[in-house]
Amino acid sequence: MSEFMPKFLLAMALVLLLTMSAGLVRVIIGPTPPDRMMAAQLLGTSGIATLLLLSRALNVPALLDVALIFALLAAVSVAAFTRRRAGADQP
Amino acid sequence: MELALHIAAAVCITLGATFFVAGTVGLLRLPDLFSRLHALTKADNLGLGLIMLGLILYAPGLFYALKLLLLWVLVMVSGATGSHLIAKRALRGDGEDLQ
Amino acid sequence: MSQPALLLAFDIVLLTTLLALALAAVLSPEPRRAVMLFIAFGLWLSLVWARLHAPDVALAEAAIGAGLGGALMLAAARRAARAAQRGTARRADDGAR
Repeated sequence: MSEFMPKFLLAMALVLLLTMSAGLVRVIIGPTPPDRMMAAQLLGTSGIATLLLLSRALNVPALLDVALIFALLAAVSVAAFTRRRAGADQP
Repeated sequence: MELALHIAAAVCITLGATFFVAGTVGLLRLPDLFSRLHALTKADNLGLGLIMLGLILYAPGLFYALKLLLLWVLVMVSGATGSHLIAKRALRGDGEDLQ
Repeated sequence: MSQPALLLAFDIVLLTTLLALALAAVLSPEPRRAVMLFIAFGLWLSLVWARLHAPDVALAEAAIGAGLGGALMLAAARRAARAAQRGTARRADDGAR
């Protein structure tokens, strides 16, 4: 079983990587900018999952910190994307 | 005991990956923006949660498991906030940039 | 499948998608789309560094390349689009006069 687990985690990471490449199609074709931003968000979350699986499969615990930075910066880029001009509420 | 834990972890991780696949299929196939957002966020949070649960079952130590839990909470908060912002901006069409 | 074969498949998917993303970002005609593709490219490159057992470089790439650089470039693309629109409006004005 201890033979099996790292291979299983790598295979799952490969599945997630293929899913991410399929989701990239939406970033490229997405008709509106919010579509593209959503696809980028999904990319970030799947990237976090892939990093966690890789961290356990390759035995590099520091990859958890990279996953933390991914989670933090997805929020930053979404906030930058949805920013509005100051005073846009007033007519 | 260890075998049972490993099997539970493998099942959880497989389920989580299934949710990710379902979310991506929804992102690619659903017709309009809000249904795509719905498919994406639900599948996203639950998929990541299940993968985290599997990895917590397979974690080497307590600290590792705690860090995973913290990361999951952070992703839940930032994902919910981000989706809400995107949906609000798309609904009102009042982003700063030109359409 | 053995572990080296799995790693090889992983690397092939990683690299082909990285190249495709880079080409899509460079060839994209619209600035905002190019910026979003650049953000995706940064995330992907950070995964490549993680696969190469370099978590520190992956950390820097995710923080600077994808996060801060992406946010700044989004703001710049927005400003450029607004300036271009103002420019065409002024030209139309001059033509009418």
